[in-house]
Amino acid sequence: MSPISRPLCLVVAAMGGEGGGVLTDWIVEAANASGLAVQSTSVPGVAQRTGATTYYVEIFPTPLAELGGAEPILALSPSLGEVDLIVATELMEAARSVTRGWSDPERTHLIASTHRVHAVAEKMEMGDGRYDEEQLQAAIVAGTGGRLLFDMEQAAKSAGCIVNAVLLGAVAGSGLLPIAPETFEEQIVAGGKAVESNLRGFRLGLQAARGDIPAPSAVSHKRPHPPVAGAEILMERLAFLPAGARAVAEEGAKRLVAYQDARYGRLYVERLDALAAITGDEAVLARVAKHLAVRMSFEDVIQVARLKTDPARLDRIRAEVAARPGQPVVVRDFLKPGLEEVCALLPGFVARPILAAAHRGGWAGKAAWGRQINANGIFGFATMRLLAGLKPWRRHSHRFVQEQAGIEDWLAAVGSAARLSPALGVEVAECARLIKGYGGTWTRGMSNFQRIRDAVIAPAATGIWPLAFALDAVANARAAALADPEGKGLERTLAAIREKAAA
Amino acid sequence: MAERSFQHEIGLLRLGEGETFRGEGILAVTKALLQSGVTYVGGYQGAPVSHLMDVLIDAEDLLAELGVHVEAATNEAGAAALLAASLAYPVRGAVTWKSVVGTNVASDALSNLASPGVIGGALIIIGEDYGDGASVIQERSHAFAMKSSLWLLDPRPHLPSIVHMVEQGFELSEASNTPVMVELRIKACHVTGSFQTKANRAGAKLQAPAAFDYGRLSHPPSTFAHEVAKVESRLPAARAFIREHKLNEVFPGSRSDVGIIVQGGLYNSLMRALAKLGLADALGNSQIPIYCLNVTWPLVPEEVAEFCAGKNAVLMVEEGTPEYLEQSLSLMMRQADIQTRLHGKDCLPQAGEYTADVLVAGLARFLESGPGRQLAADTEARARTAATLLDAPLPGRPPGFCTGCPERPVFSALKLAQQEIGQTHVAADIGCHSFGTLPPFSMGNSILGFGMSLASAAAISSVTGKRPVAVMGDGGFWHNGIISGVAGSLFNKGDGVLVILQNGYTSATGQQFMPSTLAEGHRNETPMDIEKTLKVMGVKWLRTVRSYSVATMRETLKEAIRGAGKGLRVIIADGECQLARQRRVKAEDAARLKAGERVIRVRYGVDDDICSGDHACIRLSGCPSLTIKPNPDPLRDDPVASVIPSCVGCGLCGEVAHAAALCPSFWRAEVIQNPTRFDLWLDGLRRRVIGWMQGRARA
Repeated sequence: MSPISRPLCLVVAAMGGEGGGVLTDWIVEAANASGLAVQSTSVPGVAQRTGATTYYVEIFPTPLAELGGAEPILALSPSLGEVDLIVATELMEAARSVTRGWSDPERTHLIASTHRVHAVAEKMEMGDGRYDEEQLQAAIVAGTGGRLLFDMEQAAKSAGCIVNAVLLGAVAGSGLLPIAPETFEEQIVAGGKAVESNLRGFRLGLQAARGDIPAPSAVSHKRPHPPVAGAEILMERLAFLPAGARAVAEEGAKRLVAYQDARYGRLYVERLDALAAITGDEAVLARVAKHLAVRMSFEDVIQVARLKTDPARLDRIRAEVAARPGQPVVVRDFLKPGLEEVCALLPGFVARPILAAAHRGGWAGKAAWGRQINANGIFGFATMRLLAGLKPWRRHSHRFVQEQAGIEDWLAAVGSAARLSPALGVEVAECARLIKGYGGTWTRGMSNFQRIRDAVIAPAATGIWPLAFALDAVANARAAALADPEGKGLERTLAAIREKAAA
Repeated sequence: MAERSFQHEIGLLRLGEGETFRGEGILAVTKALLQSGVTYVGGYQGAPVSHLMDVLIDAEDLLAELGVHVEAATNEAGAAALLAASLAYPVRGAVTWKSVVGTNVASDALSNLASPGVIGGALIIIGEDYGDGASVIQERSHAFAMKSSLWLLDPRPHLPSIVHMVEQGFELSEASNTPVMVELRIKACHVTGSFQTKANRAGAKLQAPAAFDYGRLSHPPSTFAHEVAKVESRLPAARAFIREHKLNEVFPGSRSDVGIIVQGGLYNSLMRALAKLGLADALGNSQIPIYCLNVTWPLVPEEVAEFCAGKNAVLMVEEGTPEYLEQSLSLMMRQADIQTRLHGKDCLPQAGEYTADVLVAGLARFLESGPGRQLAADTEARARTAATLLDAPLPGRPPGFCTGCPERPVFSALKLAQQEIGQTHVAADIGCHSFGTLPPFSMGNSILGFGMSLASAAAISSVTGKRPVAVMGDGGFWHNGIISGVAGSLFNKGDGVLVILQNGYTSATGQQFMPSTLAEGHRNETPMDIEKTLKVMGVKWLRTVRSYSVATMRETLKEAIRGAGKGLRVIIADGECQLARQRRVKAEDAARLKAGERVIRVRYGVDDDICSGDHACIRLSGCPSLTIKPNPDPLRDDPVASVIPSCVGCGLCGEVAHAAALCPSFWRAEVIQNPTRFDLWLDGLRRRVIGWMQGRARA
C-alpha cells in the first residue's frame, strides 16, 4: 500500500435552475486541464426547477502524471465530516449541507451566497414563516472552519450573470484547490455561453475571495410615509410618548392623516394619550402605536383605490418590470370586491340587513363582483379616482363604525392587561396582527381574533389567571391562529387552554 | 427530442478509434452500444437513463450512417418486445428504462423473451433508481434476473469498466443465448470520467425473414424445453464465459483470513470505507482481498469457492433487500462444504443505500475492529451534533412545479373546489403532477404506478359513496392509462372523474415527445388526439378546459364531482409544458425584437402596500416566482408577497386572485417593446390625462 493522500472533496449545493451543473462542469474541466484526476456525480432527479440539487466532486491533488499509471478510486457520495469545500448558491442550502454533517468544524471551508430563496413551507405561512437567518449563519459558522459569505445574488445581478459564475470566482480565489485561477477562468471562455457577463461575475467572486467583499446593501426595505399636510402639528403633540414609541407614532400619524384626515389623526393621538395615562411602558406604547395605526387604516375599497392611484405607484411598477424609457407599460388590476366589502361602504342601517340576509342565506362569502381594471387607462384610472374620492363618506360607512367599536374594545383590553403587567399588555396588543387583509382572509382573521378575545384575552385581562399562564395562553392562541387557515390549530389550543384554566 | 439539443454529446458518439471520450456514464454506455455494432436501440424515458434515448433520437444522421433503428417505445413493455429481433435473427440490440418500475412493466415481454432465448446479443440497460435521489419504490431488479434466467451485470462505476461490460455483455448474451441486463445506479449514470474509444460498428446487413421454428415460440411444449435449456445449457455457458473472460475481478490483499465480496456498483464506496479504516489506499490497494462481482447473476461456483475457501470469514456487500446474493453464496458454500463464515446483512443494514459511512460501520462489525467501531461511532456522533446546530429542522426543498407550470392551476382549482364541496378522494399518478402531493396542495390518497390513477380509483366510490378524482398526465395516458384506466372504467360502467393534464410532453423526464405531442417537425402527419380518442372510446361526459382558467376549472370540477347520473367524466386540462413553451417563445421573441417588431412582455406583480401578508395566494400556488419579501410598510412586520423577475406571465396569479376573491394587490403589466406610433400616442394621451387627474387630486 502506498501512503498516497486522500482526494479533495467538494459539495455543490444548488437548486434546480441555478446553474449548479454548469458550475460543477467548470470545476471538473478546470481540474482536468490541470492534469488532475477528477470525478463528479449528481442526483438531479426529475427535470424540475425548484428542488434542492446536490453535485459531488472529488479531485485527486497529486497530478495523474506522478501516479505511475495508477488511478485513484474516487467516491460517488460525500462522507460525513470529510468534505473540504462546500459551495452553496443560497444560505439555507449552505446550512443544510452543514447540518447534514458533511462539514467539519476544522477541515471544511464554505463558500455561499447569503441571499435567501424561501421554501414553499416558509412562504405559505399565514404570518411570518421565514427561517431565522441569524440561526442559519450561526450554524454555518459553528460547523465550518473557514467561510466566504456574501450576497452573490446581488453581485451576479450587477454583473448580469447568474450566481454560479460568482461562485466559481470565489472557488478559484479560495486557493483551496491545486488549480490556478486562470484555469478556472478559461473554462468560462471555453464554454462559450454568456462569456462576458460570466467573466464579470467570476471576477467579483475572485476579488471577494481575496478580501474585497462587496458591502451589503445599506438601503432599508422600509418605506416611511411621505410627509402630509396636517400631520406635523399632530407629531408635535406626541411628546408624551417615550422615544421608541414616539418614532412609531409619528409614522402612524402621517399614515392616518393621509388615510382619512387630520381629525382622524387627532383621534389616533388621543387614543394613545389615553393609554399613556394607564401605562408608561415603552414596549406597550410602541406596540399599540404600531397596531393602532394599522387597525385604524383598515383596508377598504376606498383605501385600495387611493393606493392604486398613487402617483408613485406606476414608477414602482415600471422599475419592477424593468421597462425601458419609451416603452409603454399597460397595467391591469384584479379587483373582486365581495358582498362584505361593498356593504362596508354603505351606511349601517342599509348594510346590516343585507349582510344578515346574506349570512342566513349562506351566500355572503360567494357574492363578489370581479373586474379587471386597466389601471393606467383613462377610464380605469378615473373609476379608481372616483372611488378614492369617496374618502369623506367613509366616516358614515358601516365598516367605519364597526372598526371603531372593535378598536375601542381592543384598546380597553390592552389597557386592563397593561395594568396587570406590561408584558401582558404587549401580548394582547400583538393580537391585533391577526386582523388583516381582504375578503375571506379578513373574515377569518376577525373571527379568530374574536374567539381569542372572548376565550383568552377577556379572562387574562381580568387577572383571574396567574400571570405566567395568561402570558402563555395569549401567545399560544395567537400563534395557533396563524398555524393553519382551517382553524384546527386554534380549536385545539383554545380547548387546551380551557382545560388547563379549569384545572 | 427532448429538453435541449445534444450536439456536444453526439460529437462524443462520433469519436473514432483510440480517441478519448470524456463525459457521463450513461453517455459512455450509449457510445459502447455503437461500438458493439447494434442494429436497433429502443427504450422508454425515465431518470436516470433518459439521456441515452434523448441523445440517440437527436443523432438521426449518425444512426442513419450506421444503419441503427431507434424506437421511442410508448412504454417499457413495448421496448422489451423490441428485443424479439434478436430472438429471431443474429443481430445485436439494446433497450433501456428506469428500474424497478420499468422492469415491472416490461416483465411480460421479458419472460417471453427469456424463455426461447436469443441468438443475437440483447442488452437491457436499466437505471437502478435506488437510494439517495431515487423517485420510485425501493426494490431490486435482481429478482427479475433470477426468476427469468436473465444475466445481470453490475459494473464498477468507472467508465472503462462500464464500457467493457457493455461490450462483453453482448458477447455473453450470444455465448449463452440469454438476454443480459446491465444495471447502473443513479450516480453511476451521472458519474463523469473518460475512456479510450473504438470506432463505431455498423449494424447487421439485411437478412432473409426467419424460417418458421415452433421451438422459438414461448408456447407449450417449447416452453418446457426452454426451461431445461436455461439450466442445462445456457447457465453453464454463461458461467464458462464469465470465468474465461474474467468479467468478475479479484483484487488481492495481504490478509488471508478474511475477504470481501462486493457488487461491482458498490466497489468505489467499499474502497473509500476501507481507506477510512486504514485498510486501503486511495489508489485501490487493499489489505483485504476483494472479489468484485461485475456480474451479479449468475454467480460462478468455482470462483466463489476459490475466493472463499481457506478464509475464516467473508463479507457479502450487497445493497437492498432481500439478500439474494448472500442466500446464493450460502447455498453454494454449503454444497461445496466450505466452512468459511459468511457475513452480510448481519453486519450491514437490511435497507437503504450503502454509502462509505454505512460501510465503515458494517466493516467494523465484520472485522470486530475496535478502532473501526470508534470511527463509526464518531461519525454517528458527528451527524447528531451537526443536526443540533439548528433548533428547528430546516423546511424541505423537494422538486416542485416549475414557474408558470400549467398543472399547478389545476390543483389550485381542485383545492378551491374542495373548499366548497368538501374533501374528495384523489388518486394521484406518476409524473410532474405528483408534485400536487406536496405543499401547498398536499393532495393524493394513493400512487399506484404510471397511468394507473383511474384504475386505482375504480373501487373508491363504493367505499366512500362519493365520486373520486383521478389525476393523470398525457404521458401516463398513452403509457397505460388509456387501457387500464379509461377502457377499464367504460367497460365496467365505472363512475369517477378523470383529470388528464395535457401538456404535450412527458415533462418530468425531460420533455420527450409522446403520441399526442404537436411540436414542430415532429409527426405532424399522425398526431394522436386525446380528446378524439376518448370520444371514439365512448366517453360521453368530456370537457376540455384551458388549464390556467382556474374559475372555469373549479366549476367544471364541481360539476363533474357532484353532477347527477353515473359514468366516467373526463376533464382535459389543456396547457403546454411551460419549459418547452418558454424555450420556443423566448427564441421567437428575441428574433422578433431584433427585427424591430412589436413584442409584448407580460409580468405579474404585487402592490406591496396593498398586500397584507396573509399569503393565501401562495397557499393556492406555490409558484417559485411568487415569493415573499420584507414588508416595506414601516408599521407592519409580516413579509408581503412578491413576484420576482423569473415570472413568465402565465396568468395564474390573476386567475387565483379572481377565482378565490383573494385580495386586490395583484397587477398584470404588459411592457410594449418596439411600440408602434399608435402605442406611443395612446401612452402619451393616457399620461397627460392621468397626470391632470392626479394634479387635481393633490390640489
